[in-house]
Amino acid sequence: MLEQIVFYSLSLLTLASALAVVLHRNTVHSSLFLGLSLAGVAGLFAALGADFIFAAQIMVYVSGVAVLVMFVVMLLGRASDLHLRQINERWMAALLVCGVAAVGLFKIARLHSATVATGAPRPSTHDIGRLFLGEWLVPFELISLVLLAALLGAVFFTRTENAR
Amino acid sequence: MTAKKPDPEDKKPEPAAAPAPVPVPAAAAPAPAPAAKAAPPKYVPPTPVLNRGNGRLIEDRFTTWPTQVFADRWSRPGYQWGAGMLAGILLGFAVTSALIGELAGWGDKLYSLLGAQGLPPLAVEAIWVAIKVILVMHVILINGLWSIWWERKISAHIQTRVGPTYAGSPKGWNFHGWAQTAIDGIKLFLKEDVTPAAADKWVHALAPAIVVVPCIIAFAPVLFGDGLAAASLDIGTLYIFAFAGISVIGIVMAGWGSGNKYSLLGGLRGAAQMVSYELPRGFSVVPVLMFAGSLDLQVIANAQAGYWQGIIPRWFIFYPVVGQLAFTIFLIASVAETNRTPFDIPEAESELVSGFHTEYSGMKWSIFFLAEYAYVLLGSFLLATFFLGGGASPINAVPFTLVPSWLWMLGKAMLMMFVFLWIRWTLPRFRVDQLMDYCWKFLLPWSFVNIAFAGLYLAFWLK
Repeated sequence: MLEQIVFYSLSLLTLASALAVVLHRNTVHSSLFLGLSLAGVAGLFAALGADFIFAAQIMVYVSGVAVLVMFVVMLLGRASDLHLRQINERWMAALLVCGVAAVGLFKIARLHSATVATGAPRPSTHDIGRLFLGEWLVPFELISLVLLAALLGAVFFTRTENAR
Repeated sequence: MTAKKPDPEDKKPEPAAAPAPVPVPAAAAPAPAPAAKAAPPKYVPPTPVLNRGNGRLIEDRFTTWPTQVFADRWSRPGYQWGAGMLAGILLGFAVTSALIGELAGWGDKLYSLLGAQGLPPLAVEAIWVAIKVILVMHVILINGLWSIWWERKISAHIQTRVGPTYAGSPKGWNFHGWAQTAIDGIKLFLKEDVTPAAADKWVHALAPAIVVVPCIIAFAPVLFGDGLAAASLDIGTLYIFAFAGISVIGIVMAGWGSGNKYSLLGGLRGAAQMVSYELPRGFSVVPVLMFAGSLDLQVIANAQAGYWQGIIPRWFIFYPVVGQLAFTIFLIASVAETNRTPFDIPEAESELVSGFHTEYSGMKWSIFFLAEYAYVLLGSFLLATFFLGGGASPINAVPFTLVPSWLWMLGKAMLMMFVFLWIRWTLPRFRVDQLMDYCWKFLLPWSFVNIAFAGLYLAFWLK
């Protein structure tokens, strides 16, 4: 009972604030709601008992990514950002993208939908560490390589022609 | 071509004006009331003392506010109120420290008592958590009272001043102005809460809450002594860093929501600085986590138990090179995370008025400072836990090892807090580009090198 109340209220928070991100006309408000939505996802992780991912989600997304998004919005913002509508009329394309994404997510989620999550937080840090540096070492290192490539790409593209 | 106005301030330093003040005191000094001796409980104002240089009253402004107001309003001598308040504060300190310290064993009894009331287990848990939350919140509030006063005294003595001296009582019980923060707090409660016309109302109002709430949440796993934490979390370290990072959002919101370009600049600088310094702060702790093998603060503190050769405590700060490097980087990054002076470009007074909190007044303004000092306390406790052995005694001898662990912990944390205040009042402010270079080109590479050193230690020395 309590688990369901927590789950549904957190889901409502996440979805409502995600909707507010795209419906708000003020981009700064949108970025704040983005932070709230990401925090709601962290709450869902906590409700599932995944303590490490909960803290990592807060650390990386809420206090890292959301802050950087706010930083960019405020630094590069124009006056029109504060009142222009952020959605356009191309609802057909949007519907298509949403449909494909929903079907894909459903197919992934169905694989694990029978698993019952334990509500109580359970220490998972040691297990995650063993898996990352044991069984899943190669994918883990490949992902870090992708991130390194993205970093170098960002540095390359932000340099001006003269500096190159 | 401004009209030359007769300015009395300009003429003061001239030597020709020196004899002029002589008639002024005679004219300005009112006849001292001689009949005031009749009623002893009534407050007798002291005879006015005049500055010989300019003939102004110097005694008056300190004795009429605020202590004389106290004395008059309740018709009781100020020192009695001062003694009462001091006794109350000391009692509060004693009760709080006893509750989080020696009496923590009573917590288990209280818990079982709660369970025996026939309440549903969920209600028992809720009441128990509420009690712990109230205790931890009082740590933060009392820390605000204490550390602001301490900072003012330390800053004053570093600058050869004396700091707060008069607040407390006009008749003696004004030990180093002990009541200064309390009276400032009363003043802040009574101040007008101003919201600028250009401000975004909701963002402006919510920003202080977004700053202070994660700060209170982050105190949950903080270790106050052996086994004395509100929540024993397996991911304690990560949890504290994660929630401490959320406060940046509040600073950015305050900067943008004020509708003021200086505030916006301050907020942006705050975001850039705090996101940058979170990295060396997190990575400098990685060697400690590697040595201890856990993120749990209690396990980290226990891993430092014992003494080398029975003398040198096995604290992580005494691990050659790695310990000192990690300690230094963590200390510097912690000072940067709290926006204090060598790193206070988000609020740089000389450039940005007050940065992100320019447009705040009253309690909203003071909440920013409550959070700042709470983060100083958090950094002090983390330094004590990670590097100074937690609640372990530094000397392996009987009178010292018998001292309770929460007292050692508090002592180490207060020592670290003194270092925080000392740094703030000693070093000048960084420039923005210097600040970023210092983080990304010096602290972060060295924290990586430090992790490599720690790996070598683990491979060749510690196992």
